[in-house]
Parts: sequence; structure tokens; C-alpha cells
Amino acid sequence: MYGDAGAKLVGQAKRAQTLTNLPPYLTELVRTITREVRDLDKDVADLLEPFQGSFHPSDDQATACTLLVNHLSMRRNKRCLLAYHRVRTDRLEELVWNSYDVVDLAGQQVRDGSGGMNGGGSGDGGTGSLCPQEEDYMRQYSDLLAAYKGQWTDIDLTGSLEPPRDLFIDVRVLKDAGEIQTEYGAITLTKNSQFYVRQGDVERLIAQGYLQKLS
Amino acid sequence: MDIDDILREVDPTFDFVPGETRDLQALTRAWVAERSAPELLDWPPDGLFERINDRIKQQIERVEEMTGDMDPKTNFALIVIQTELERFKYLVRSYLRARIAKIDKHTLHYLSSPALRARLSETEQAYATRHQALLHNHYLSSFLSSFPQSLQNLNDQAGNISMIDTPDLETAVFIRLLTDTLVEGRGTDSDGGMDGKIGDIVILRWSDAKPLVDSGRAEVI
Repeated sequence: MYGDAGAKLVGQAKRAQTLTNLPPYLTELVRTITREVRDLDKDVADLLEPFQGSFHPSDDQATACTLLVNHLSMRRNKRCLLAYHRVRTDRLEELVWNSYDVVDLAGQQVRDGSGGMNGGGSGDGGTGSLCPQEEDYMRQYSDLLAAYKGQWTDIDLTGSLEPPRDLFIDVRVLKDAGEIQTEYGAITLTKNSQFYVRQGDVERLIAQGYLQKLS
Repeated sequence: MDIDDILREVDPTFDFVPGETRDLQALTRAWVAERSAPELLDWPPDGLFERINDRIKQQIERVEEMTGDMDPKTNFALIVIQTELERFKYLVRSYLRARIAKIDKHTLHYLSSPALRARLSETEQAYATRHQALLHNHYLSSFLSSFPQSLQNLNDQAGNISMIDTPDLETAVFIRLLTDTLVEGRGTDSDGGMDGKIGDIVILRWSDAKPLVDSGRAEVI
């Protein structure tokens, strides 16, 4: 009661900021906090009921104090929930900017799961760490970003934010990526081969982990 | 290039340079300012970005023509143009991303008054409005809808704390003076003023620097 669960949630949010992968959505904890808020609201209503809308704080200071604490706890819980969700949506937006989508994320989770502790942990039905609402949000945000990017087709907004130094770079192929078309003809990217290519042509592949930039 | 050249470049009255160069300078300047200033600055007026977009398109076409015409291995000019094009694109991209980052951070603040709204370009306004709607919807469907009615707002002012976060206008910025002017700054104990000479570099609070920058007497660096 009185914000314990909220503090826990914020702690989780703080922790999530330093992790590379987004931890699972804490459905249960969020539900506990909303329930707490509803209970507090009911308490307030019950406390105020005998006064029939004519409550004067100075007449009954004990009740006034209870009311104040209840109100503050509700507000605080709301802030905690907002903060937790904002941290998570920020992460999701970052993923969208790095051109992941919901399907990619599901794939990544499964792969990470099988690579780590014999795959039992995170494989519960695809996007284990997102709740359905977050999946929706991510999908909608991708659409929004795509629409905004559509205004700037030539610039490729999601491109690298490092200032370009060289037009051409050396890359090593980490995973077979098939054939790509460049201005200088087609290149077949087979694993472990090395190419000297134009940075703009392969930026997306580097971001997706098919290629590695050699310095 | 020494300091005088740089100053002449950014001097608004110096107009012997062709329009293309001026646009590039304007873009570079907007980019530097946007990255250093704590709050969102005005979207550049008079169609700067339309011109920039056109020019990028032209250059891309030019590059395509040149690749078709000549052997790329020997075509040095092509490489120069392409490199320059990549740099130009980087400037625009970085500029837009810096703005988007600020808008995302304080969406409700920038949408709250017409004056602040006017700083955004049309597409940015559409983006910000839609983004805020998405967020609100997400909160609603996640937990807010089961809250009591009086607690469902996202812009409460209760307890003298506004829920709307605003950028910190007291952050320090570096500015370079473009004319001789009086620089005034507020301090914690007392306020101070100094007679600035052209080219002087000063560090002060953004809220004090803003009038100087807006009137073109200084630039953010």
C-alpha cells in the first residue's frame, strides 16, 4: 500500500535503462498499482461520504490528513506508471529508428534465448518482453516514422549519425546477404568475404548486422 | 581560413557569395545552433529546406548521369561530388534528427501554445501531434483507463508541479559575437554586463543569449 509497488516499478525502469535487451513487461506489477489507485480512490470516496460534500479540513484534521496522503499516493503511483511506460516506449522508439520492427524483435528474442540458457526462458510465444499494447504502439510508431521519413526520401533520416569521412569503406561479410545492386554493378555478399564499397550502399546492411565495417 | 574569414561568412550583410553557398552556410549555422541550444529553435523561414531538397535531387541526378557517362575508376570529379553530397545529406539528417529528439522529449510543451507551435515545420507538427496521440493512447490502454476520471489527465498542474516537462532554458551555451555589443548576463549573486567586441566568445545562460542570437548579433557555437 501507499506506493511500495510504484517504487518497485520505477526501480525496474531504472534498471531497464542500463540493459541491452528490454526486460519483460511487468503486467502483474502494473495491475497491482492500478488496483491500489482504485482502492485509494474508493477510500477517499468512503471517507468523504458522511460529509455530504461539505467537508472543512480545519474541522477534522485527522481525516484531512488521511485524504491528503491518499491523494498524494495516487498521484505518485500515476507518475511511476507514466515513467515506467515512457522509459519503455523510448526504448521501443529507439528500436524503430534503428529499423527494427516487431517481427525482428520477436526473432531476436528467440535467437537470444536459444543462444543463452538452453532457450527455455524467453521463448514463450514470440515477443516475450512486450505486452500487446506495446506491440501495437511499436507498429503505429513505425508507420508514423515511415510517414515522416517519406518527406525526406533523399536524405535517409535513419542513416548514420556519424559524420561521413570516406565515401568508400572496407566491409567484411558476417552473414550471407545475397546479391546487392550498386552503381558500380552487382556484388554478391558471401560470408567471410571482404569488399571495398560505397558507404551509402551498405549502411542498412551494417545496421542489420550482415556486414562489419573495418577501420 | 582564419577567424576573419569565418566571421565574414556568417555576417548577414556580406552578400558577394552565390545563393548556393549562402544556403549551405545557413544550414551549417542552423545545424550548429540547433545542436547546442537547449530548446527548439525556429524552423528556418523563406524556403531554405525546399531549396536544399531541390539541390540534393539535382546532385543525385548529376551523379547518376556521370556514372553512366564515364569510367568510375578514373572519374575523380564524381568522387568529389559524391563525397560532398554525402556530407550535405549528413548535415540535413543530423539537423532534422536533433530537432526530432527535442520535439520527442518535450512534445506537450511545444504543442501547448501557438507561439511554440510556430517553431515547428508543418510536417514536424503533424509528427508531434500524432506521436503524442499515440503515447496517450498507449498509456490509456495500458493503465490510465482504469484510473478514476479525475486522474486521467496528462497535463495536471496539481501541487504546483506541472506534468508538462519544459526544456531547461538556463543551460550554458557558448556564443560568438558578430558585432560589437553589450552582453548582459544574470548571475546567482549579481548580474553582470560587458562590452563585447566582434569575434569575442562568451559563455552564458541560454536565456540571456537568446535575444542576442535572435537579433543576429551573436551566433551559437
